[in-house]
Amino acid sequence: MKRILLSITLGSLVFFLSYTLLNEEPEEEARVLSTLDTNSAQNVERTDSVKNNSNEAGPVKKSYEPAVTVPANNNMGITPERIEIPAIDVNAPVQALGYTDKGGMAVPNNLTDVGWFEPGTKPGSQGNAVLAGHVDGRSGPAVFFDLKKLIPGDQIHLYNKDGTKRTFIVQRLEAYPFENAPLREIFGPANHQGLNLITCTGPYDDEASTYSERLAVYTVLDVPQES
Amino acid sequence: MKKLVSSLAAIVLILGVFAPSAFADNHGDNAMVRVLHASPDAPAVDVYLNDEAVVEGAEFKAATDYLEVPAGEHKVEIYAAGTKGEQDPVISTNVNVEAGMAYTAAAINNLENLELKAIQDSMEASEGMAKVRVGHLIPGAPAVDVGPIDGDALFSGAEFPMVTDYKELEPGTYDLEVRTTDGTQLIDLSGTTLEAGNVYSAFAVGTADNPEVLLLQDSAAMPSEMPQTGFGGTTESSNALLYAGVLGALALGAGLIFTRKRSEA
Repeated sequence: MKRILLSITLGSLVFFLSYTLLNEEPEEEARVLSTLDTNSAQNVERTDSVKNNSNEAGPVKKSYEPAVTVPANNNMGITPERIEIPAIDVNAPVQALGYTDKGGMAVPNNLTDVGWFEPGTKPGSQGNAVLAGHVDGRSGPAVFFDLKKLIPGDQIHLYNKDGTKRTFIVQRLEAYPFENAPLREIFGPANHQGLNLITCTGPYDDEASTYSERLAVYTVLDVPQES
Repeated sequence: MKKLVSSLAAIVLILGVFAPSAFADNHGDNAMVRVLHASPDAPAVDVYLNDEAVVEGAEFKAATDYLEVPAGEHKVEIYAAGTKGEQDPVISTNVNVEAGMAYTAAAINNLENLELKAIQDSMEASEGMAKVRVGHLIPGAPAVDVGPIDGDALFSGAEFPMVTDYKELEPGTYDLEVRTTDGTQLIDLSGTTLEAGNVYSAFAVGTADNPEVLLLQDSAAMPSEMPQTGFGGTTESSNALLYAGVLGALALGAGLIFTRKRSEA
């Protein structure tokens, strides 16, 4: 009996010691896109991508895009059922989701699906459609774990239930503090046909039980040259 | 303590001391402005706000996305592209913007009568509805109605340079047209899709001979905060827990084996 107690004590001791030691070491990978590195993320921005409102004081120099005229049929929006991101081997179902109780954006309750913010814009329509997926679960990576590896020019394909496809091209990646993300830039009105992907990034905040930052990947519809 | 804080927070929420938008972002002191070039014969322009360029080389029918500007009065100057410092601005005016509001500043009318029209934009539609308004920005064109083809007008008698009030409509795809008040079709807008939660401005621009419509999105449904997209399972703390657990179990096993061997001996 004594030996079992001894073993348990030893086991617990090793557990606590190693936990304390391990916990002190920050893991580099999870911090790749923290705020400090936002500048480097911006450096890979395409030159033709449109820089939107920023938090810097005063107005910023702004390029423009032509407003969208109403074509004979502008119905490019689809209800997404599946997402494919070949660059990071993502092929996942898409759920249409709405608001949380707190009025935030709901996310799938599993780690393999991607959520589409259904009250907002349809992917392909004018404006910003938004998809969100988990970066990880309690013990391992989830569907958007590699989202931070996307680079401008990568393609994202969405399909509706009939197999109709819309392709979006990655423009830029930005990381924002969770409490201070530019919601209007990500979800709000726009003249282009945008699709923005969100997942968690930055250090994990144990107290708040959430990651301290959000990664936003801005993409725009790849419109074939119309005759 | 944590519980107390969260219940306090809940009470504050219920009392509505903080509007949800205050949580949404901390840009509460700013206004949103977008610029539209709606003067059919004016050249490409540069737009300066308080002597800083905000838009360069905008041509007829160009519209910016919303730009954030501090609330208050601003000097807006519009120059023919590339002529600041050499020529007088074609428009110089002051506009006053309020925090948390959105505006469209449109350069309208023919070049010789160019003027800046500032209008306030709606930032919210009722749940499940789309919201639309129509602007008549075609100098010299007659008053128009906008409505379904062969149907009753949704907006009637809009004259240059009037922008109608917003109207809430069921979301869906509409075959709309812009027609003179006596029923002659000016612009065919078949297949115009209006999505729930979105606010739109349909600005008729151009000339009486060559009218077109720009459909701008004024607002979209937005959540009050970013999604919760991770549980921390790939970060240091959880990994540490996992590794520590494994090491602890190993030590426990080793202890058992070790002590057993000793008791056997």
